[in-house]
Amino acid sequence: MNIGDFVRGLVAALASAATLLVFAGPAAALAADAAAGMQKAQVCVACHGSEGSSVIPAIPSLAGQPAQFIATQLLMFREGKRKDAQMAPFAANLSNADLNNIAAYFAAQKLTLPATKSDATTAEAGARIAKQLNCVQCHGATLMGQQHIPRLAGQQHEYLKTQLRGFKASTRFDMDGQMTSDAQALSDADIETLANYLAGLR
Amino acid sequence: MRNSASHRQSVVGLARFAGAVAATLLIINAGAQTPVAPPATPAAAPAAPPSWQQGRSAEQTKSTLHPFAPHLTGRPSSELPLDKLKLPPGFKIEVWAEGVLEARSLALGDKGTVFVGNRNLSDVYAVIDSGGKREVKKILKDLNSPNGLAFSKGTLFVAERHRITRYDGIENSLDNPPAAKVVIDNLDPSKQPGHFWKFLALGPDGKLYFNIGSPGNIVVPNYTQAAIHRVDPNTGVMETIAQGVRNSVGMDWHPKTRQLWFTNHARDWISDDLPNDTLHRVTHKNMNFGYPFCHQGDLPDPEFGKGRTCREFDAPAAKLGPHIAPLGMRFYTGKMFPAEYQDNMFIAMHGSWNRSTKHGYNVMRVTLDAAGKPSMKPFLEGFLTDEKGDPPMWGRPVDVLQMRDGALLVSDDYNGIIYRISYKK
Repeated sequence: MNIGDFVRGLVAALASAATLLVFAGPAAALAADAAAGMQKAQVCVACHGSEGSSVIPAIPSLAGQPAQFIATQLLMFREGKRKDAQMAPFAANLSNADLNNIAAYFAAQKLTLPATKSDATTAEAGARIAKQLNCVQCHGATLMGQQHIPRLAGQQHEYLKTQLRGFKASTRFDMDGQMTSDAQALSDADIETLANYLAGLR
Repeated sequence: MRNSASHRQSVVGLARFAGAVAATLLIINAGAQTPVAPPATPAAAPAAPPSWQQGRSAEQTKSTLHPFAPHLTGRPSSELPLDKLKLPPGFKIEVWAEGVLEARSLALGDKGTVFVGNRNLSDVYAVIDSGGKREVKKILKDLNSPNGLAFSKGTLFVAERHRITRYDGIENSLDNPPAAKVVIDNLDPSKQPGHFWKFLALGPDGKLYFNIGSPGNIVVPNYTQAAIHRVDPNTGVMETIAQGVRNSVGMDWHPKTRQLWFTNHARDWISDDLPNDTLHRVTHKNMNFGYPFCHQGDLPDPEFGKGRTCREFDAPAAKLGPHIAPLGMRFYTGKMFPAEYQDNMFIAMHGSWNRSTKHGYNVMRVTLDAAGKPSMKPFLEGFLTDEKGDPPMWGRPVDVLQMRDGALLVSDDYNGIIYRISYKK
């Protein structure tokens, strides 16, 4: 075994172990194949950043997102329910197992937080909007996401804005209408504030 | 902060939208921070909340209860704790097919094809059993929540949100299915959120029975909503069979009496233990089972029940448990299970979510005594592993289907799996 293979093997083993930890919830340890997912994910990191931590404001980080969220969104790109010209061709040829494996890989990565930090005023205003919308009900107590619901804390701000605007315009895929409904009450300024607040959450 | 005046205005709009609790929060905030000026112009009307959330009290807007979404990409059975599944002695369960994404309603073709619908996706799958191996095919796509399926004399009927269609002779050309022919259209004119995915069943009268649910959790429905209807597939003429039915996603006819029985989901957000979801028997046309005024036959709605009485309405045949979410229901007429299972009902329980301690996530067996009174006991259990967990379960039964050999299929939309239950003495 050469050193490259050894390192790759080690990374794969660590990724699997991390996935097991992440998945060790009440429904038992049900790891998809994160190592296989890592192989498939090589094409993703060109835009989504090394190990899924994006450094581009318009591109979302995938690292540390719930696996079920990543898999569901990839499926929706593949099935044409979530429309995106850049993502559609990548998702088109992925099998169901590929989706689960890629999701398991990115879910197991640690998010390197974006450079964006919100100033105190924005943070306070953003926190107030988030509280009124009760974002924590679905996105979790610390907005780290759960099940099919995305992590918001530390997500790229331009990406968040685009999604919120999409929900407000009823053009963004929405499984149950929750986000489309919530976004109606947001002004453009609110969206700006909320996205900057969420991106800056540590 | 940039543009703070317009920000404050929109925050006021938000507070109105979020209701009394949010308004209280704003007042508390206002004490500690800058007072908020009244808006110069009225805020835009907010969109309706999603139907699962509608009808919460101000206090409940802070609830952490939420529905559970399926793993829409499916999960391999090799990763699931199948050994937790329990059945009465002599029964056996196995994975019959997997990779059937969000497997919900089941229908059996004349040649043995099992057709599978879904709700969040847009497809109909076919599962073909040849020599003990199952092949899973996506045969129809780009449909609008094709949850309801029925099969008769070579024709597959599909109930989407907005229409019911037929695919004649489909089993002869699964790889190149015939074009859809419309039986009835315009069933979803509002295109709003609500309980508008459908269950579909073919009655002994040759007509197609289906539900149109309520537009929200607890609202006054229009005259086609919160009802069970039937349509004649030959003429497209529709009639209402029963009203006051919040949402029925399972129905079948008693093999001897030929009466229609159906399951019904009661409203959420009253309490953990009220109201019960219900099982109903239709003895005549134009029955009304009470929604939104009366639930479970004896519980006036806290809001809409004022000035009304449950005596105005028809009572359910049985209370099945609060928030337990009864879905597919069929009578068993097969020869494989022991004789005492003859004419029993199997009901797939998909819930509960709107309850701090979860129950259900099983298949129940319902027997009728000589007077026709139902009693219920668990048949298939083990999906529920942590009644306080989030999620509390690793699988969710949706529909049951009796096969020609008498075995029972159970669909699980959470994992995209179909199980087969068989019996051997």
